[in-house]
Amino acid sequence: MFKKKRALQSKSEIVLRNMVVTFLVAYMAIFMVIPIVIAFAGSFHNWNPLNGTYKWIGLDNYIRMFQYPTFWVSMGNTVIFCIVVVAFRVVLGLGLAYAISSRMVKSKTFFRTIFYMPTVTPLVAVAYVWKIMYNPQFGLIDNLFGLNINWLYSSKFALPAVMAMTIWKDFGYAVILFMSGLLSIPGDYYEASGIDGANAWQTFRYITLPLLRPTMILVVITSLISYLQAYVPVMVMTKGGPGTSTFLSSYLVYDQAFVKYNFGYASAIAFFILIFTAVLTLLSFKLIGEKS
Amino acid sequence: MWRKVLGICLAMSMMLLLSACGSEETATYKGEIDTNPDKGLEVMGEHVTYDPNHLVNDGKPVELEWWLWDAPDLFGSIAEEYEKIHPNVTIHIVNNPWDGFWTKLPLALQKGKKGPTLFNVHNSYQHLLLTYMAPYDIDVKDLEQDFFTAKSHEIDGKIYYIDFGIMTGAIYYNKDMWAAAGLTEEDIPKTWEDFREVAKKLTIQENGKLIQAGFNYNGEFENLMQSISYQYGSTLFDESGTKPTITQEGQIKAVQMMLDFYDKDQVGDKDFGTDSAQSFGQGQSAMVYKWGHFYGYMNTNYPSIPYGTFEVPVVDEDPFAYDRYNGESTPGINKNASPEQLEAAQDFIRFYLANAEKQKSLCMNYSLFPANNALREDEDLLKNPAIQAVSEHISDYIWPGPMPATLGDNLKIAGQDIMYNGKSIEKTLKTAEDIIKVDLSNMDFVSSESLYHKYSQHK
Repeated sequence: MFKKKRALQSKSEIVLRNMVVTFLVAYMAIFMVIPIVIAFAGSFHNWNPLNGTYKWIGLDNYIRMFQYPTFWVSMGNTVIFCIVVVAFRVVLGLGLAYAISSRMVKSKTFFRTIFYMPTVTPLVAVAYVWKIMYNPQFGLIDNLFGLNINWLYSSKFALPAVMAMTIWKDFGYAVILFMSGLLSIPGDYYEASGIDGANAWQTFRYITLPLLRPTMILVVITSLISYLQAYVPVMVMTKGGPGTSTFLSSYLVYDQAFVKYNFGYASAIAFFILIFTAVLTLLSFKLIGEKS
Repeated sequence: MWRKVLGICLAMSMMLLLSACGSEETATYKGEIDTNPDKGLEVMGEHVTYDPNHLVNDGKPVELEWWLWDAPDLFGSIAEEYEKIHPNVTIHIVNNPWDGFWTKLPLALQKGKKGPTLFNVHNSYQHLLLTYMAPYDIDVKDLEQDFFTAKSHEIDGKIYYIDFGIMTGAIYYNKDMWAAAGLTEEDIPKTWEDFREVAKKLTIQENGKLIQAGFNYNGEFENLMQSISYQYGSTLFDESGTKPTITQEGQIKAVQMMLDFYDKDQVGDKDFGTDSAQSFGQGQSAMVYKWGHFYGYMNTNYPSIPYGTFEVPVVDEDPFAYDRYNGESTPGINKNASPEQLEAAQDFIRFYLANAEKQKSLCMNYSLFPANNALREDEDLLKNPAIQAVSEHISDYIWPGPMPATLGDNLKIAGQDIMYNGKSIEKTLKTAEDIIKVDLSNMDFVSSESLYHKYSQHK
């Protein structure tokens, strides 16, 4: 009786497993693998699906990509954007998470909520509000600090202005992740370090930081991947300008595919970004993960 | 038990799905049957004529879908008037927002019969649409006699769409600021030299800080630059009409003049009112260079600002061209629509083109100079300041052709690089030219500049 019941249960589990796996495989195939294969093939074609153009041009899109000045500008901007925003996200996130987790701080839930609020606010809405705040004539930032800077139209300040908005929007996510990381560190370690006479900095440096490494890897890798795909803030705030000062590589893909309808060329750039992302991710794993 | 029920339901769903896949769709249209060919109405039009006294599709019901991106009531009124004459024809207006329209429309047209039968066209997207369009079943010569820009839309002896009106740039000025500066109608400048003096008078600075810009072209760099360089006689494309030529003397002089407005004359600033339309509406800028749709923008957003319009000043008394223009187009016809729909669509287009009154309403709405010669002297249209400003020299405005977006986009980027990033004019224009050249090499674009009556005088 018992055996029969187990067998039935096992059979239903197998059916459920097969259904779930089939669904996931189908989902991945339809929304990931097939589009990637189509895009890869498209990167070797002069491709405009809107008027049915699909003509083999070999490596022309890739050659054109490396010769296109905007491509190199956008790659440079993307690297700067990623390094600065990820660094600030990690430092701010870790700093604030550490501060909130301190025994001295009360109302932890309040701070958690406040810091997480920008993360759950729609990006387009945030970008529009910041765009108004950056206005040189009636914007909050210039008026508050008595400045006279046309933030979004200055080649010096436009990219930092977009980065500042992105940092503000996203640091809360890192705070929450680091807080959960801090909570998962057993108290015994801190007790032991206290007995050994470690000061606050030493405790942070030799206990907290190494034990937070998995969280750090998660934050850095997920941030890198998402910022290499960032284009919404640019589209809303600067449209890549002034000139090409704030062109990010993903915005270039968007511009080529959905504004100029050069889908083949856009696919070539997208593939380059894919490889670039993979390399950066591996490097990050190497650099941060080695010691863990 | 429930498994059996579920199994039966699934089997039935599959059968339904399979039967849906296998069935051939037949065109069935709802609506009235028209049995009266004699409508008792007069023939409309001059050369392109429309005789309403006939049956469309033998009076049997037929439905058309007409895709727009704007003014559904106005375009809908044309459809309604047509439906009154031919009650068996039903035209469904489908209004999509501009954003996404040019992605949705070609994809819908790829579906053949299932796509819209009629769709509004913007000439900058001609390269996406032409493969799906049927030529008008109207004599090309008749079209050219009635519509002065029709010739520029001829492709291999056929016409797929034409302009019902044309739009161009003009200077809009704030009348209160004009009067406060002691200026009168007599001071309206004809040349850029005079314009610069007027702009200086309209500029107000306090303690070295700009309070009121005499002239603001922020956000209009690419349009104003094209206007002035045409005045100098520099065309945007070479004689083949396929390669951009935006590094000529005229273009460089045009950009230098624009920079001088701000740097030498200090009548404006790149950082003062970065959106010149808003700045004018908010009463910060006395003069702006804008295209005809600005009239509608002001009436909608800033109705209390009193403003006038005058023709764009010129570099000398006899410029190569005053400015470029662009047309607002008549609808395209889906060549893959059913034969019944195609017959009705062709008939509707003839009605549309012969109906000067409806074209007048459209021109009024968009502040367009009418392309229909019958409306050239129309008093109501000439009361519109944007139309009035360009009416005197309208034949001296040039159309570069259905320019793909890459030209405007890259000139805009070049403008920002020159104005905000301090890059050199020559190098920046050269970069833009190279990029446009590469982008155009993948398209079948040929400029219409050579059709301009003074083309032989270009430099």
